[in-house]
Amino acid sequence: MKIVVCVKQVPATTAEKRYTPDFRLDRTSAESVINPLDEYAIEQALRLQEAGTVESVAYLGMGPEQAAEALRRALAMGGDEAYLVTDDALSGADAWATARVLAAALNKLAPDVALMGMASDDAKGSLVPGAVAAIRGLPLLSYGSELRLEGSVARIRRLNATGYDIIEAPLPVVASVTDQVGEPRYASLKGIMAAKRKPLETWSLADLGISPDELRGAALTRVVEVRPPETKAPTERIENVPPDEAATRIADWLAARKLL
Amino acid sequence: MSDAKSDANSDAKSDVFFLAEFAAGVPSHAAQELASGAASLAKQSGGSAVGLAYGEGAADGAPSLRTWGAARVLVLGTHAVPAITHAAAVASALRDGGVALLAPATPNGRDLAAATVGLLGVPAFGPARAVRFEEGGLKVEASTLQGAWVTISEPADGAPTPAVALVLAGTFTPKEGSGTAAVETAETDDGPLGAARIVETHQEGKAAVNLEEAQFIVAGGRGVGSADGFTQLQQLAEALGGAVGASRAAADAGWVPYQLQIGQTGKVVKPALYLAAGISGAIQHRVGMQTAENVVAINKDPDAPIGEFADLFVVGDLFAIIPKLTDEINRRKGA
Repeated sequence: MKIVVCVKQVPATTAEKRYTPDFRLDRTSAESVINPLDEYAIEQALRLQEAGTVESVAYLGMGPEQAAEALRRALAMGGDEAYLVTDDALSGADAWATARVLAAALNKLAPDVALMGMASDDAKGSLVPGAVAAIRGLPLLSYGSELRLEGSVARIRRLNATGYDIIEAPLPVVASVTDQVGEPRYASLKGIMAAKRKPLETWSLADLGISPDELRGAALTRVVEVRPPETKAPTERIENVPPDEAATRIADWLAARKLL
Repeated sequence: MSDAKSDANSDAKSDVFFLAEFAAGVPSHAAQELASGAASLAKQSGGSAVGLAYGEGAADGAPSLRTWGAARVLVLGTHAVPAITHAAAVASALRDGGVALLAPATPNGRDLAAATVGLLGVPAFGPARAVRFEEGGLKVEASTLQGAWVTISEPADGAPTPAVALVLAGTFTPKEGSGTAAVETAETDDGPLGAARIVETHQEGKAAVNLEEAQFIVAGGRGVGSADGFTQLQQLAEALGGAVGASRAAADAGWVPYQLQIGQTGKVVKPALYLAAGISGAIQHRVGMQTAENVVAINKDPDAPIGEFADLFVVGDLFAIIPKLTDEINRRKGA
């Protein structure tokens, strides 16, 4: 049994972010990290490997050459090998182009489970898992709070309106997991040293048999305007007053906005 | 019915599609919002609003989507199955084009939108906080990079149609009219995406109020301290006529079920009032509530980050203030 975890490099939450003059995220200006929600997918894969259910855990990333750092950090948490798809033609790739390229790389790696985080910190669409499943023609098990592999099927536990469902599909599958799978481990010093010797292969689009023409400029969407959000009125503060007065003033504030 | 006639004469390539999830024959609030949003976009594009309905009771409830503006509804399936299993039917319905597919930015809506993008190779947008049809084309406004920027996007030149847009709750307001939509049933082979099955369903407690629909939300965080502490929040929510939500810290602590979690990995809400009690306001929480119209925060820490973006920040002990606020609201409402 083999799992490939897709790992995206994103700007750190605390980093200052800006757009380039052609409205792309300036990925060189910000400190980069593994997309925090991908760390849960890594954790889930490593737990299955430790339990003996899965023999091999590999990572797949797509991005500029510096995205290899995120894959090295993933390898420091555990797992066996990593692959980075990097190509100038991928600059500015949107959900569709990203899914198209990851699907081709996953078809080449042919894992039993292609595992992803539930969303990325920067794009926030949660579109890549479903699009990859559709392109590869495989079932999707999404938003799992736990992934289990039993025989020839995969199962996830997924929240429903009041409790949870167990959803099942025959392997191979594309799956995504939430931050409820368990806190991601920290890389140990030993893990960081070991990661330096683990194989990390780089693929171009040509290696995947995709021509840049097929990607139609890497994006079917175009940003036409970027602006700061509307400035809002400054925060009103109520401080150093007894609870009675605070309650009355909150009620007055709500009433003034016709919220009562 | 003159409406139906004009709809029949409209250009199918100008139609605006939307996903409509049903439970017990009733369309979700998101479906109502998207029906009205699709109807207003369709008026500008010269087409009709077409619903793609799925879920329990979808066939029975489909005609009611006319109330919110749908001219036509295609029923994809009526059983409780993972929404993704309808992906092939959605793609099939869109093969002849259309301007846009509006999908709610919920897990099911995102899955179906994503699979459509993969199956048809069409542009994807969102999560959008506004969708407009301007100068003959679609314009999608989204908040990006943890709210630091607002972007406006459009399909690239020559991009295939329809464009798929994830739409945040509260982006469109349901407008009630009358009438009955024309209903058809999709006949599609589900294909490989149809292979996922619900094999067990576990109900835990009563159905919570749907947070995405609530106009008033009282949300508690780490500062609430216990499951008991949430009782006071529940009483305030009842006084306001709203629902209780929570931060991830409170859900992780087991004080409330995860269904109540608001934030990046929980629900994204846009109520008229968001009252945050004992919530520090980490970025992951903010992502789930930053479009609320009014934000009131009560926190004993005068430096809590939520104080920077709340409209009203009350520094004090929530356990002292909230019961008094509940009494005051009940008194003013004459309860």
